[in-house]
Amino acid sequence: MKNEKSPYNIRIGVVPVGEVPEIAPKVVAAHFVGYLNLSTDIFPPLELPGYAFDKRRSQYDAGLIIKSFESMQFDNCDKVIGILDVDLFVPLFTHVFGEARLGGKCALISLFRMEKNPERAAKTALHEFGHLCDLQHCTDKNCLMHFSKGLEELDSIPLCFCRYCSAYLRDAFCRLSL
Amino acid sequence: MKQKMSIMIVDDEMIVRESLFHWFEKAGHVTDTASSGAEALEKLEKFPFDILFADMKMPGMNGIELLEKVKEEYPETTVVIITAYGSIETAIKAMKTGASDYLLKPFKPDQLSLVMEKIVHQKKLASEYRYLKGQLEEITRFDNIIGQSPEMRHVFRLITEVAQSDASILITGETGTGKELVAKAIHAKSHRNRFPFVAINCGALPETLLESELFGYQKGAFTGATHSRKGFLEVVSGGTLFLDEIGEISPKMQIDLLRVLEEKKIIRVGETRPVDVEFRLISATRRDLGKEMKEGTFREDFFYRVNVITIHIPPLRERREDIPLLTRHFLDKYSHETTKHVDHVSREATEHLKSYEWPGNVRELENAIERAVVLSKSRTLKTGDFSFLSPSSRRFLKPRSLRDMEKDYICHILSECDWNVTRASEILDISRVTLHRRIKRYNLQRT
Repeated sequence: MKNEKSPYNIRIGVVPVGEVPEIAPKVVAAHFVGYLNLSTDIFPPLELPGYAFDKRRSQYDAGLIIKSFESMQFDNCDKVIGILDVDLFVPLFTHVFGEARLGGKCALISLFRMEKNPERAAKTALHEFGHLCDLQHCTDKNCLMHFSKGLEELDSIPLCFCRYCSAYLRDAFCRLSL
Repeated sequence: MKQKMSIMIVDDEMIVRESLFHWFEKAGHVTDTASSGAEALEKLEKFPFDILFADMKMPGMNGIELLEKVKEEYPETTVVIITAYGSIETAIKAMKTGASDYLLKPFKPDQLSLVMEKIVHQKKLASEYRYLKGQLEEITRFDNIIGQSPEMRHVFRLITEVAQSDASILITGETGTGKELVAKAIHAKSHRNRFPFVAINCGALPETLLESELFGYQKGAFTGATHSRKGFLEVVSGGTLFLDEIGEISPKMQIDLLRVLEEKKIIRVGETRPVDVEFRLISATRRDLGKEMKEGTFREDFFYRVNVITIHIPPLRERREDIPLLTRHFLDKYSHETTKHVDHVSREATEHLKSYEWPGNVRELENAIERAVVLSKSRTLKTGDFSFLSPSSRRFLKPRSLRDMEKDYICHILSECDWNVTRASEILDISRVTLHRRIKRYNLQRT
């Protein structure tokens, strides 16, 4: 999805992993184009990574998948968002809706606990993308970078970044465009 | 307003440390990790972490043991215990030992978020408490004189009472007790505070120099008097003259000063015309002037003139409860001045300081803290940092029998003399036979 109007030369790769409703990657990609004015590429689905499956927990280790994705090549993409419909976890936590490392290249989001709601997936994707751009959690409850304690709180957050996080994002986009 | 915390994650599993590290990093906190309790304590010595997330089960030191040590050395550091071996007993034990909270593995992300919110709230309350405590400390501080003991409270009351009068004051007390600070406080609280406060150490100046310094001199009065100069008795006009170590001045100077105090006039050296002077005299001495007066070495009339009101400052060993307060004050002062992050004194070190005799009083304590702060390599001053304090001046912590004291002292002298009985008996001023008898009685043996 090429965004001709985007002032930034940044491409976001959206990668379905395993069986994911067809609409989900499209909605996520559309939010990146519509709300952040960025170009996106939707990649063909990848297989579910068996190496990340924890039999004891019946969940997939988000950290392991991210590590593997970081070493993969996604054509011309500056940042990559992986979308899964399985339950994700990181050690110590029962589950995560999404996972990303500050300043990393790849983030993951899980539709598993989102009750098939594509807008929740998009919000989580934008939040994790913020982390990929070095943004930390925000105290503003009306900012996408605010940490949501649950679905209810996630739903209450509007689809926008606060003015400080927006400024920080613009700055990050300039750095990425160079 | 976002509250940025410094957090340390203590867990022997790297994957757990990484997972929590990234979570806190995303929340904007300063985060570090340690793979064992020992490493955590090492890092705590160098940096004051706000919160410690410690795993319960670790090889070597477990979470509760680490918690105990942290609470003892760094009580303001909040500890959260993480355990997969969750039982009510473990949780109760952790909370009883001082843990702020505990988390059972695995936990929901929002649980961790709630724990953090609770800790931030607790820290805010603690900070408010510190502020209020600081205000309370203002009450225990009196114009830079620090003390909360009944003796010092009495001194503070006296200062306030005498400040408004013009009566001469004699401040008595051992060296280093803060006599000049008391004199300055009296001056600051008096109606003379807009006029000069002049302090002269009488013991530091030879008689002739003291005379010319106090009375001033006329040009040509003596060799080297190339110009006329006002003495301190004139300079101080309207203010307070503080004569430290007044017991050191000569009988002649005592007569000269007595005349000044009675007539309120001075005559410069080499001059004949008197000049009017007006000041309040505060003197200080570490000697027993009453005794010297009876012995005839200090003039009686001068003694009564300078000693209208006496303020006695007790030595530090008689108000040991002030030692922690003074230690805290000097620690703050020197860790700030030296920009070294030393903000604690261990409980043992505080006891050590309290048991010391402090012959040099507050001044010696201040120097000891400064030296310990400068040389300390950790943020906590320990007993070893005060090893330079002379052990002979240490007070015995517990009351002891004369027999035990004698036994210890003989043992000490023998080891000093490398068990040379002849030399030891000379030092002890007893015969060799007596010393041998004592050695046998106390069953002393060379080690």
